[in-house]
Amino acid sequence: MALTEEQVARFSRQLLVPGFGEAAQERLLAARVRVVGADGPATPALVALVQAGVGRIWVDDEGYVAPADRQGWLYPPGAVGSSRAARASEALSDFSRHSVVEAYPAGGVPDAALIFAGSAAQGIAMGEVARKGGIPHVVVEPDAEGGAIVSIPVGAPCFSCARSVSGVGRPPVPGIAGLSALAAAELLHILVQPAGMAGRRIDVVRGVPTTHPTVRLPGCACGQPVVPPSRDEGA
Amino acid sequence: MTGSSAVARLDVRADACPMTWVKTRVALGRLAAGDRLEVLLSPGEAAESVPRSAAEDGHRVVALDDLGPREGVRLVLEKRDGGGAAWP
Repeated sequence: MALTEEQVARFSRQLLVPGFGEAAQERLLAARVRVVGADGPATPALVALVQAGVGRIWVDDEGYVAPADRQGWLYPPGAVGSSRAARASEALSDFSRHSVVEAYPAGGVPDAALIFAGSAAQGIAMGEVARKGGIPHVVVEPDAEGGAIVSIPVGAPCFSCARSVSGVGRPPVPGIAGLSALAAAELLHILVQPAGMAGRRIDVVRGVPTTHPTVRLPGCACGQPVVPPSRDEGA
Repeated sequence: MTGSSAVARLDVRADACPMTWVKTRVALGRLAAGDRLEVLLSPGEAAESVPRSAAEDGHRVVALDDLGPREGVRLVLEKRDGGGAAWP
């Protein structure tokens, strides 16, 4: 279905991006994205996904807004102590009426997932859930003022193959907005050009990104094919 | 719409930059390679920038006719496949 005049105007700037276009915007509007983690570092990515016109965003976070989360972009002072998923959904709904933002419904099958790992273990666990479900995903590893982003289209080396093995995991600082927004851009890229993107890892050090192709570790189970579930099936 | 004889029409004389090019690019995206798009533009900035942007995006400028100060400019573009660079 073609974009409406209003949608063309709303998304006009990105409709000018080379390689992007009306069909890409339609894919975004039809997409369902699960975002795991909605603490401060994740908030710029959530805003970017809404502003880009992702049709449905599921916020998957059972935690509560902490004082440190207020360094992000979504939570006012009075939000501390309330549900992150509820507060994020409420705040993001004001950004665009083209996106529906809500708490992740148990069993929901997204078209892609963005994972803000609170720990390496969580990143691996959530990455495996996505990989085994045949869902392309991006995993973010914050590290102080920078960190890493691992983009995993279907069939690419998994997060375990590409994750950091040392020197990461320091608490993120407010300047992490760049890493967060870049992670959202990677996810949008996967949604728009699923066949045109290989797995890759972006390391952001002092604001400078460096991109490397990811490589499958010998013997890793991610080399085996997976059967993706139907969009209408539970996961 | 297919075939080089097909012509779609678009009037962006009431729009300002960048919407003139945005609407033209979207309209081109709805066509098949080889199809033509006739665009009516206001004289001035749009008449200069839209043909240039179309050419930079890989399309062919077939005609650019000045219809006078009241009618504006008539631009005819031919869609080329694979116009524009890929998203990095």
